[in-house]
Amino acid sequence: MSATHDDHGHAHGDHGGGGGPVVLGTSDRHPRVRTIQVVRPQDEDTTFLVAAAKGLGITIKHFARNLFLPLRKAAARSKAGAPTDDTWHNEIETVQYPEEKVTYPERFRGLHRLMLRDDGAVRCVACMCCPTVCPAHCITIIPEESDNNGIEKRPAVFEIDELRCVVCGLCVEACPCDAIRMDTGEHARPVEDPLVAIETKESMMARGIRSIARQGGEGPNWREHEPGSPSDAKHRNDADH
Amino acid sequence: MSLVYAILDFAAVKWLFLVLALVMPLASLLTWAERRQSAMMQDRLGPNRANIGPIKLKGILHFVADALKMIFKEDFIPANVHKGLFALAPVLALAPVLIAFAIIPFGPTIFPHQIREFLDPVQLATDPGAPAFADAIRMQIFSIDFGLIFYFAVLTVANYGGTIAGWASYNKWALLGGLRSSSQMMSYEVAMGLSLMPIFLAFGTLEPGALVAAQGALPWNWGLLSWSQFPGAIAVLGAAAMIFTCLLFFTAAIAETKRAPFDIPEGEPEIIGYFVEYSGIRWGMFFLAEFIEIVFISSVITTVFFGGWQVPFLDADGFRTSGFVFPLPHGIVVLLQFLAFGAKVVLLSMFQLLVRWTLPRFRVDQLMNLGWKILLPFALANIMAVALIKLIAMALTGT
Repeated sequence: MSATHDDHGHAHGDHGGGGGPVVLGTSDRHPRVRTIQVVRPQDEDTTFLVAAAKGLGITIKHFARNLFLPLRKAAARSKAGAPTDDTWHNEIETVQYPEEKVTYPERFRGLHRLMLRDDGAVRCVACMCCPTVCPAHCITIIPEESDNNGIEKRPAVFEIDELRCVVCGLCVEACPCDAIRMDTGEHARPVEDPLVAIETKESMMARGIRSIARQGGEGPNWREHEPGSPSDAKHRNDADH
Repeated sequence: MSLVYAILDFAAVKWLFLVLALVMPLASLLTWAERRQSAMMQDRLGPNRANIGPIKLKGILHFVADALKMIFKEDFIPANVHKGLFALAPVLALAPVLIAFAIIPFGPTIFPHQIREFLDPVQLATDPGAPAFADAIRMQIFSIDFGLIFYFAVLTVANYGGTIAGWASYNKWALLGGLRSSSQMMSYEVAMGLSLMPIFLAFGTLEPGALVAAQGALPWNWGLLSWSQFPGAIAVLGAAAMIFTCLLFFTAAIAETKRAPFDIPEGEPEIIGYFVEYSGIRWGMFFLAEFIEIVFISSVITTVFFGGWQVPFLDADGFRTSGFVFPLPHGIVVLLQFLAFGAKVVLLSMFQLLVRWTLPRFRVDQLMNLGWKILLPFALANIMAVALIKLIAMALTGT
């Protein structure tokens, strides 16, 4: 160490205090070379015996508390940071999974669901935004003509392969109709047959609820504004088949 | 009938009883208790799921599941191991620990003809050859004057198990573990032997059965406080010396079990240890030997420092304090004393688990420092101190 110390100003001897180490002196040549006060461990911590006894006391306390005091209520344990007024419970944090479940945060992305209209029909208008944006190519939509005159299309087939899904939530972001959501709070279930992991329109509608959002894509009868008649449109549709 | 008693008094029968009734159940339960207790110490629940149908018992059945798993697991033997020694090592680790139990007095002497009667201690002291006291069954397998020395000798052999396992495995890490095992044994055996010498000075015997008898039913005469019959300063100094003795012995004994904080031979973070090549029930035998050693250490400390099978204030004919007698038949007394021994052993085993899950492990050099530079000098100084106390006490009482 080539630093030379000046011994001025190390009168304040209280160490700690939160503002970094106590500076005892600064080098003449280089202001960033300083002599600081080193905080050594307390004697009781350096002698192994006392520290060991202290540690044993802590573990005995935890063990006794967890052994003799009753378990906290499952709900209080499963909610992170839930207030527990009752101090006479133990400190066990284990959530016994299949019986108890942690409440997920609201933004948790779980299994998909298809939202419903007021009459219970599927809200999706088969605009193909979600299969387009999906990075995993796990959404399959086959559109068909809707029998609702205000709406042009609806999905005949809407399948999501949950094994391919990367749970990114882009489909929900892309949907203009609030037709697909991932707010079920359920995990993709473990399956033995990969085909079982494919969610169908029916299974996703079974989880669906009615959306309070205004239905997009709904308007006056589009067939009246077409150049041809509704029968003309039907004829075209038949010709496709 | 006396043939039955003679068979019951046969050493192998008593050994079977001890192993089947105390050692094996306790050691198996400890495998569960270790995980469960450590979990509770760390605010977790631990294993509580194993069940047979609806019977769950807080997960105690986990040890059954573990045993079944280890028995039916593939017994893999690597290509280059020394097959004979590889097979011998687990036996060498397990057998000596079971043999060492021979010296432990795990219960009082049973007089079969007196089971329903109230025993007369005066008659027992003056006329032990009376027909009422015939066919006595002594609850100690092997009663010899050098009892505790026998224990040191036999448990040293248990360390060969680890060393030979390391040598036979043809694996660098296993060999390192084996070497560490033997070096640790050598370092701590010295301190352990010396740390028990004050007991010899206090009681004048190393025979565990005689030690328990000498400690008697009064807790202030037990090993920890064995100088309390002397006046004032001697009693205090003696108690301090004995508690220090107990601490020294306990430390050295934990080091002998090769468990954390002294798990250098195993060294999980560095070398996995001498049983790295073992699998299935062969590994299970090392594992079981470790837990049986815990039970054994607890038994020795119970016997030497905590009055063995003695129940506080319980004499051979019932509870007895000054001016108060509550007579009990011999059978009940024996039962209580068995239970007392079991309870003390269980509590001390739990304390060992507590130590293992509280203290961080030592490095190899720290371990050697503790053994040679701290425990050994302190053990020697302790012998001198206790000898001095004994000298003063003898001078005071004129014996």
